[in-house]
Amino acid sequence: MRKILSPRVRGYRQDFLKIAQVYPVPYLTGGSESSCVVFNLDTMEAPPVTMMPVTGGTINMMEYLLQGSVLDHSLESLIHRLRGLCDNMEPETFLDHEMVFLLKGQQASPFVLRARRSMDRAGAPWHLRYLGQPEMGDKNRHALVRNCVDIATSENLTDFLMEMGFRMDHEFVAKGHLFRKGIMKIMVYKIFRILVPGNTDSTEALSLSYLVELSVVAPAGQDVVSDDMKNFAEQLKPLVHLEKIDPKRLM
Amino acid sequence: MSGVRAVRISIESACEKQVHEVGLDGTETYLPPLSMSQNLARLAQRIDFSQGSGSEEEEAAGTEGDAQDWPGAGSSADQDDEEGVVKFQPSLWPWDSVRNNLRSALTEMCVLYDVLSIVRDKKFMTLDPVSQDALPPKQNPQTLQLISKKKSLAGAAQILLKGAERLTKSVTENQENKLQRDFNSELLRLRQHWKLRKVGDKILGDLSYRSAGSLFPHHGTFEVIKNTDLDLDKKIPEDYCPLDVQIPSDLEGSAYIKVSIQKQAPDIGDLGTVNLFKRPLPKSKPGSPHWQTKLEAAQNVLLCKEIFAQLSREAVQIKSQIPHIVVKNQIISQPFPNLQLSISLCHSSNDKKSQKSTTEKQCPEDHLYVLEHNLHLLIREFHKQTLSSIMMPHPASAPFGHKRMRLSGPQAFDKNEINSLQSSEGLLEKIIKQAKHIFLRSRAAATIDSLASRIEDPQIQAHWSNINDVYESSVKVLITSQGYEQICKSIQLQLNIGVEQIRVVHRDGRVITLSYQEQELQDFLLSQFVMDLKVAARLWFSFLVTNVKTFQKVMFYKITNGVIFVGHSKKFSGIKWKVETLFIKWSCLCLHLALVYYDFFQMFPKEVSRNFDMKCLQINYKYKEEITCKGVLFLKTIIRKCLFSTLKLSLYK
Repeated sequence: MRKILSPRVRGYRQDFLKIAQVYPVPYLTGGSESSCVVFNLDTMEAPPVTMMPVTGGTINMMEYLLQGSVLDHSLESLIHRLRGLCDNMEPETFLDHEMVFLLKGQQASPFVLRARRSMDRAGAPWHLRYLGQPEMGDKNRHALVRNCVDIATSENLTDFLMEMGFRMDHEFVAKGHLFRKGIMKIMVYKIFRILVPGNTDSTEALSLSYLVELSVVAPAGQDVVSDDMKNFAEQLKPLVHLEKIDPKRLM
Repeated sequence: MSGVRAVRISIESACEKQVHEVGLDGTETYLPPLSMSQNLARLAQRIDFSQGSGSEEEEAAGTEGDAQDWPGAGSSADQDDEEGVVKFQPSLWPWDSVRNNLRSALTEMCVLYDVLSIVRDKKFMTLDPVSQDALPPKQNPQTLQLISKKKSLAGAAQILLKGAERLTKSVTENQENKLQRDFNSELLRLRQHWKLRKVGDKILGDLSYRSAGSLFPHHGTFEVIKNTDLDLDKKIPEDYCPLDVQIPSDLEGSAYIKVSIQKQAPDIGDLGTVNLFKRPLPKSKPGSPHWQTKLEAAQNVLLCKEIFAQLSREAVQIKSQIPHIVVKNQIISQPFPNLQLSISLCHSSNDKKSQKSTTEKQCPEDHLYVLEHNLHLLIREFHKQTLSSIMMPHPASAPFGHKRMRLSGPQAFDKNEINSLQSSEGLLEKIIKQAKHIFLRSRAAATIDSLASRIEDPQIQAHWSNINDVYESSVKVLITSQGYEQICKSIQLQLNIGVEQIRVVHRDGRVITLSYQEQELQDFLLSQFVMDLKVAARLWFSFLVTNVKTFQKVMFYKITNGVIFVGHSKKFSGIKWKVETLFIKWSCLCLHLALVYYDFFQMFPKEVSRNFDMKCLQINYKYKEEITCKGVLFLKTIIRKCLFSTLKLSLYK
């Protein structure tokens, strides 16, 4: 079956539309989650790379983020507290492998895409993510806000990205626990460095601590979300201090 | 002088000599200081013998000793001065007073000694006790005893009072502590049932269903306050609780969802005026504290609000053929024509005013408790679905959502597949379907029952199955005749009552679908009656009719309603009943007649012609006017007369 490209990956709409004229695109409903990015590599030519943003169509989703970290020995108490505070579900663990791809264009800043797959759940689709620059809004906003596009893809994503001209910058393995409270997602995970590129078995822990992330993906303009996040973060003190960490300042 | 010589320091005593005389030229004449004996004399002179015994003795001993020391001096002084005493004044000799006192003491001692020695002999002198009054000596010890007892008792009382004071202090402290501890233990109990957190110095709790998967935006926070208005002096009331909860004002009182099916309201203007009847609060467990009932009631109100909000949202958004009406606290929809389903949120607060008003009208008969219960179940299902693990993202950075929906992109699902994934039905649609089914089922039951009560022969039996679905029920219908069940075994129907249709499965395998119209079912069942009659009549007519002579006269009567019995025969051989029109309701009578004849002819087994034409028994639906009972009776009596007149037999037992 001919696999079809979807015009929803950010920045490549025009090119995809060209291809979509050749092959009929199946009707898709829903938000960005139902976008289909499956790639046909036989007859494709390398289209010129443009980085025009998608205008119109989907709702602009923003990711609100708060981060913190705990040392290994405090992990148990943090997990207990999160189990009490969060929704009543069976605790979920995850083991993911993430690869970060860069596309160096004429501009100084490269275009970053993150491809993530689940190593412990077979059959789960790959996840492609674009994260924009953090919005420098008012200081009152408690969380880091940035534009976010999420797409579920099939398994030959890396080949496609390589063909598009992306190069893998780095990769890592994330292993930890996942909680939710309403629309908030709390991830507590440890980052493992991959020693041999491509081999996810040879890993070593990057640090003796766990990274804690509190994130919400919501439509743009809902600032009340950050207040809820702040209130929740208050309840986790003093085990972990979740705060707005600007990635640019760390560079 | 070469060196500094040591300076000699002379020390003199500070006692200066007393100045005796100051001469005219300024020279002082000093008194010579007293010598030792002179000093002693001076001191002896100062002795006061009239003082207390101890000091007197000591001083007397001291002076005696001194006097003895200087007996020589004293005696010599005495001797010397005795002569001088005669000549000199006695005050010049210091030992004079001492001597006199001693002498008098000696005298007295001698006298005493003498008296005692005489008294001892008891010859010349005896000691006689002085008689005293008895009372005074007795009173004295009693008062003494009293006084002493009083004193000792006072001392004991003092100790006891001190102890009692300490005890009361500790008891009040304990009581206060107990109240304090009670608050903490109540707080512990509260914590076992509800989620609490401390914000500043306030204790807040959460009574919403958010942690169970609800997405309703109500905060659902209640505050825990300490009940300090307790008067320790007054008696503590039995239901006193040191802890009190303050629930949000919009969750006060009690609420429930009223679901009812009514005939179409002719006047649309009546909308929005739902009779709220105050349902008695569900009985809480006897041991549960008052805050538990309060919080549970508030949580129920919140759940009802959520259910109603979800229903009204769907009522507005979902497009249906007949739009639903949402007015104030009521949602009205039309499941069937001429039928109205109304779902309303009845929220009654605990004010006294509203209590008075709601006791006026109470009509709970049309409230469908089953649907209310199902609404609660459905919303809980919805909650559980949000929390199920199929919504959790793998890989972890993906957004929340159903697992299959995430696969719809990579696997290129088409619209139909995606629609099948998403739950197409909302709460409202489900409830409407359930209401339709309930209504259809009750109406089918009513139809069958009315037929059974109206038609005595043949009989209809309905066996309803106990285990049903929310959308489907089934009933097995048997149509039999009394005494002839074996014949009429073939009429067995299985009715499957669905949401909008009734499906009938015949014993011989035919499947017929009836719509929700009441008349269709009724007509169908009546047709089955006729089938029954056909079978019975056929059986009857398969027997030989023997006695021809008895049926020489066959009456035919024309009734104004249009029934015509056309039957004629001069000879009995082969009765041909040619029935042209026959009402369905007359068919029972026909059967009855047929059976009567069968009975009759069974007693007299005779030959019956086989020339019965089944086609004659035609059923025509043309005439459907009701036949009066009078008409039926009339016909019956006529036929009976006819029979009796010829046979003189009683056939009706």
